Amino acid sequence: MIVAERKPLEEIRRNLAGRKKVLVLGCGGCVTVCLTGGERQADMLASQLRTAAKVAGEPVEVTVRTPTRQCDREFIDTLKADVEAADAVVSLACGVGVQLMAEVYETKPVLPAVNTTFMGAHSGPGTWTENCRGCGQCVLAETGGVCPVARCAKSLINGACGGTNKGKCEVSRDIDCAWYLIYKRLKARGDLSFLRAEREPLDWGMSSSGTRRTLVHAEVNDQAHRRGAEGAEGAAERK
Amino acid sequence: MPGRQLTSEEYARLAGSDALIETEWAPCRAACPVHADVRAYLDLIARGRFREALDVIREVLPFPGACGRICHHPCEQECRRNDVDQPAAIRDLKRFVAERDYPEGQKFEKPLQERDKVAVVGAGPSGLTAALDLARLGYRPTVFDRGEAGGGLLRTAVPAYRLPRKVLAADVDAIVAQGVELRLNVEVGGAFQLDDLRSQGFKAVVIAVGLSKSRGLPIPGADAAGVELALPFLAAADSAGPGLAGKSVVVIGGGNVAVDVARTAVRLGAGRVQMACLENEKEQPAWSWERHEAAEEGVATLHRLGPKQVLVRDGRVAGAEFKAVTEVFDGNGRFNPKYDENRLTTLDCDVVVFAIGQEADLALVKGTDVKADERGRLVFDRSTSRTSAADVFACGEVVTGPGSAVEAVASGHRAARAVHQFLSGLPIDLGESLPPKIDKLAPATAQRLVKAARAEMPAVPAAERKANFGQFELGLSEAAAMKEARRCMSCASGPFVLTDKCAACLTCRRVCPFEIPEVKEIADISSALCQGCGICAAECPANAIVMAGYGPDAVRKSVDAALASLDPKGLRLVIFTCGHHAPAARWGGSDPARPAVSAKEVFLPSMSRLSAADIMYAFEAGAGGVIVLECESGTCRYPTVELRLRKRYEQARQLLIEAGVAPERLALHVGAADNQEAAFAAIALMAERVTRRAQGWAPRGQAAKPQTAEEKSK
Ligand SMILES: Cc1cc2nc3c(=O)[nH]c(=O)nc-3n(C[C@H](O)[C@H](O)[C@H](O)COP(=O)(O)OP(=O)(O)OC[C@H]3O[C@@H](n4cnc5c(N)ncnc54)[C@H](O)[C@@H]3O)c2cc1C
Ligand code: SF4
Ligand code: SF4
Repeated sequence: MIVAERKPLEEIRRNLAGRKKVLVLGCGGCVTVCLTGGERQADMLASQLRTAAKVAGEPVEVTVRTPTRQCDREFIDTLKADVEAADAVVSLACGVGVQLMAEVYETKPVLPAVNTTFMGAHSGPGTWTENCRGCGQCVLAETGGVCPVARCAKSLINGACGGTNKGKCEVSRDIDCAWYLIYKRLKARGDLSFLRAEREPLDWGMSSSGTRRTLVHAEVNDQAHRRGAEGAEGAAERK
Repeated sequence: MPGRQLTSEEYARLAGSDALIETEWAPCRAACPVHADVRAYLDLIARGRFREALDVIREVLPFPGACGRICHHPCEQECRRNDVDQPAAIRDLKRFVAERDYPEGQKFEKPLQERDKVAVVGAGPSGLTAALDLARLGYRPTVFDRGEAGGGLLRTAVPAYRLPRKVLAADVDAIVAQGVELRLNVEVGGAFQLDDLRSQGFKAVVIAVGLSKSRGLPIPGADAAGVELALPFLAAADSAGPGLAGKSVVVIGGGNVAVDVARTAVRLGAGRVQMACLENEKEQPAWSWERHEAAEEGVATLHRLGPKQVLVRDGRVAGAEFKAVTEVFDGNGRFNPKYDENRLTTLDCDVVVFAIGQEADLALVKGTDVKADERGRLVFDRSTSRTSAADVFACGEVVTGPGSAVEAVASGHRAARAVHQFLSGLPIDLGESLPPKIDKLAPATAQRLVKAARAEMPAVPAAERKANFGQFELGLSEAAAMKEARRCMSCASGPFVLTDKCAACLTCRRVCPFEIPEVKEIADISSALCQGCGICAAECPANAIVMAGYGPDAVRKSVDAALASLDPKGLRLVIFTCGHHAPAARWGGSDPARPAVSAKEVFLPSMSRLSAADIMYAFEAGAGGVIVLECESGTCRYPTVELRLRKRYEQARQLLIEAGVAPERLALHVGAADNQEAAFAAIALMAERVTRRAQGWAPRGQAAKPQTAEEKSK
């Protein structure tokens, strides 16, 4: 799940630059689950905006909508009337939703109300922790289900660095050493052979530091199918 | 039982109506023969809204005073608190609201009555109920009774120490005040016949004559002087004085009537009172509490005795002889007593009273088109409440057999509906589809609930009360009643999950103090397990949980109303507090000790319902400050509320300060909701802080709100 945290009100208000009609958009997906951008949080942000405007003596009109998800056009399309009626949109969705909103409603300022922080899991009451960095070449099969990319401070892929210290990371005593965890997990499984094998370096070009990535499922992508069919004809022609 | 789910659209359609709260019933309501909304009136009592509670009762039960004392309260038998500690004292609470003096008085509106005349024969609970319903529907009912006052057996049989005559008279007066004409000392079937009613223009007749004859037994000696029947004995008791001084009395029978006879005999001065019944202790039909009270007053109960003969000396009773009972109910559970004629018991006594049952006196229908069967019972169609004559209906014990007052009332309601349908030219259909009742409390949930002892009904000690017919139960004090009402768990008022909004985030599961929500594709909250605290509803990030009885708009509407009631130029403080504890602490309203600050309280069913968003809303709506008053630590009926409320308050506080609200305009006080002094101090403190800040006293930090006129004038 994508985890995000609320931006300070001051920043949101600064970005709004005094616009009078604001549409606050929650998102019914991940940010609801991590308690940052659900309908309730959208209501509370709207409430803050109204109160702040009142205190400042410059009233605003704030409406709230919370589509099922902001990362799908079909859901976003249902917001047309509300978006058009507003001077600006403040979105509590992750960066994915904000961008898609901005793309669909090109002429409308769509402003983020959250900082999209990571992909993670619920790890305790009211707490979420990062688990995956989306590197594009998952190594969890070899690392006992502990991700060294996300959880090792240096994203090392071939074992612990010299700074590992009694299971803790040299960066901070509060952080577990990912490689220590990997070792423990594999030992518990009774198979340390993965640790002995040497791993090829990751292709960072496939990861978040490379270019924008795209996924196509040909089975539901009509264009991909058409291209595939043309290819087949072409091949026949070449014979 | 599955949880309750709705789409947002369905919810929008139903919100504000009773549909949600009526989806399922609490078991008390289902068990009540007239389905009184127990949960609703207990909640009103807890909030100190006594008159409204009484109105809820009166809607379905025209005998709140009488039933508040003598109802056999099947609601309490079914109350889900039985599985936690003891049932809510529903009957005693009914009595409490019924016997209060209301400053506004007991005003009753007479409905517009322009429809047909209807005659009711018999002014017992069933007949008066049918008449009242018909009056409310606009008919003109006249109730005929051969007695000198209304009330039926409640007046002539139920002893005054349980039901004072003036209490019953007040119930009857209220019925009359609502458009029922009562014609007393008229025996229908005597000089005045059933057919006379028709010729006088009554378009329908309801027979509600009860079971007015006591049964005796055709055993040797039964006609001797000193042998009495229960009903005449009880009817005469009021006027008989200490007629039994020093005498030894044997009451034959083991039911509630027998117990009343025995206790009446004690009060009439009898030296010794023994009850002889067929049943053993377990089988004996009288209510356990009445048997216990009788025993306290010195009544002895002898079991498994079958009357054989009354022993007579000089034409007067000298004793009673019994044969041993070997079995009362046969293998099929049918009443079919078997005796051992060889094992005999003799009880010496001066008086024998038969309390073994009653039958109807149907002289009034003799020779009319209203037929009785060969066993002397009215021919009656239960599904239409109709007799063999198309325009003659019947209700009460004459058709149901012996039961309780509230059952007679229920039967009266049915007859009135039938008459209404008949006179409207409609087919008679008394079918009712009632909401299902929720399941029993699961033991795992019951275990987690906060225990609270039931209010004891103060009573006159046995030694004192047995000497007179004074009411021996003294009634609950206001404080005790409000506290007792809070014991109600508001069963079945739990939430609905909005299917299109729920994100299956698990927050409800994680915050529920009872771990009740199950989250599969979406949350599933069992109404039978849920305790209705609303903690989950106030935390759900998707706003996907709505409480049946207190929807998401409820707090906001109350905030709007509170603000509207305050002078716009004043401070306008909104005080969120517990509707159950604060009214009992008597600090709401217009107490002279209350600080003269423009502030208004918003009472919540429990502080568990207050969300951070609600607190924030108050400012948005124009509040100059918000005070959250929580109850004394550990007094909430729900666990964890203190922690949740503090966290919500902190969250709201941060978000509000971020929005520029001055910090002194927000306060949370623990232990103040149920403490008048602390509540007043909290109000005064905020007023002082806000005013000082406005005067430039406070250190600079967050911008204060622009001064209000009230502040400026100071
Ligand atoms: C001793 C005793 C104790 C009881 N204790 C309780 C208790 O604690 N709790 C409880 O819930 N219930 C109790 N009951 C039962 C309760 O009293 C009855 O269920 C209830 O009164 C039945 O109501 P009804 O309207 O059917 O008839 P009734 O109350 O019997 O009323 C019938 C009326 O019809 C009148 N009448 C009869 N024939 C004629 C006629 N021909 N013309 C004119 N008027 C006529 C009678 O005068 C009477 O007023 C008790 C009953 C008895 C006998
Ligand atoms: S706790 Fe209240 S609602 Fe539940 S059964 Fe008892 S009286 Fe009825
Ligand atoms: S939190 Fe309260 S209202 Fe929600 S499921 Fe649990 S008991 Fe019911």
